[in-house]
Amino acid sequence: MKEIVKLIVVLTLISAVAGLLLAFTNNRTAGPIAQARKAEVLRALTDVLPPFDNQPNETVFSVDENGQHWTFFIARQNGSFAGAAVESVSMKGYGGLIKIMIGINPDNSLRRFKVLEQQETPGLGSKITEAVFRSQFENRSFIPDTWRLKKDGGEIEAITGATISSRAVTEAIRTAADVYARHADEIRRTGLPATP
Amino acid sequence: MGFWKEMKKGLWDEIPVFRVVLGMCPTLAITTSVENGIGMGLAATFVLLCSNATVSLLRHFIPDKVRIPCFIVIAATFTTIIDLTMNAYAHEVHRNLGIFIPLIVVNCIILGRAEAFASRHPVRLSIADAIGMGLGFTFAICIVGLIRELAGNGSVTLWSATGWQWRVPAAYQPTLIMVLAPGGFITLGCLLALMNRIEWHRAQRTPGYAYQPRELDCRHCVICKPKTHVSTLS
Repeated sequence: MKEIVKLIVVLTLISAVAGLLLAFTNNRTAGPIAQARKAEVLRALTDVLPPFDNQPNETVFSVDENGQHWTFFIARQNGSFAGAAVESVSMKGYGGLIKIMIGINPDNSLRRFKVLEQQETPGLGSKITEAVFRSQFENRSFIPDTWRLKKDGGEIEAITGATISSRAVTEAIRTAADVYARHADEIRRTGLPATP
Repeated sequence: MGFWKEMKKGLWDEIPVFRVVLGMCPTLAITTSVENGIGMGLAATFVLLCSNATVSLLRHFIPDKVRIPCFIVIAATFTTIIDLTMNAYAHEVHRNLGIFIPLIVVNCIILGRAEAFASRHPVRLSIADAIGMGLGFTFAICIVGLIRELAGNGSVTLWSATGWQWRVPAAYQPTLIMVLAPGGFITLGCLLALMNRIEWHRAQRTPGYAYQPRELDCRHCVICKPKTHVSTLS
């Protein structure tokens, strides 16, 4: 009996001290972690968006469509619409999830995209992050049927040996552009002072 | 038993990955670049250092029957601390290492050293042991990372955030398999064989030292030994 009490007391004490330490650390790092995440988003936005002078990560337009939640980040230069960016996710990558950030020009063409997360095969599927594949989309105007792989009847050249990865990215971009096209007017108006 | 002696043994004679063959999961999983090896190795060293010191401090206070849960709680606490700290101040590395930082807690080197060394030795020696084992682990996974990254990706990355990267001339076509899972096994197997070869040569040159086959070696078993002198656990 006495022994059991001792075991319980010791284990409880150690766990309590551990809990205190963790609470303290969590308290101290919560701020910097949130900041690092924000800086990461802002860096991705700066990469894909045309030059802007507002805070696109604070000027957002959200919509639920196709069973996904879309958040458009809106860029403005001198008060007028300079472009929008949106995060798109595909679960159809060879290694599962692929997350990309897409930048859209004011004339509705795609400006650039950046892969935020991917677990594709190094050296094959991971080439979706490389310029050779990426440049195919740059400044391409949005005609839904052409934004497919060539073997799916579109105009995008797949990466050799990585059709699945290429298709996943292409599809993620097409879906995002589709949602954008349907809400373009609302997105352009977001953040402007309401007109009577 | 001096500080240096305890430290030195982790660097060669009982180097975690190659001699004691502990910590295989992170070794195979994250060594696709030198950078990952450095990040993982230093993070594990930090956890090992803290957990060894704490376990050693509390060694008379922790009852034998609950020692394993206690060791795990201690290791988990320090792992979470470094996880949060790295997420806050070394965000890029934290992203690259992903799931492997939380998994430090089940890295058997940590528990192995707590059980086999720190719970039986004073704090000073436990710290020496942790530094030696930690650096030995870091060194070992960096070597595996170096071979795999060089062969499989044609580069050597020390720290990508500061641009410390060296690439081989573009004419070299990387051998992809080396950065995939099989490459990890191949590299590790060759390094283990090399290590045994070196040890064998050393043993032969030492007069009066009969080379014992590892499978007949009692050092790795704690069943019939009293708690006093067991410095290795496998």
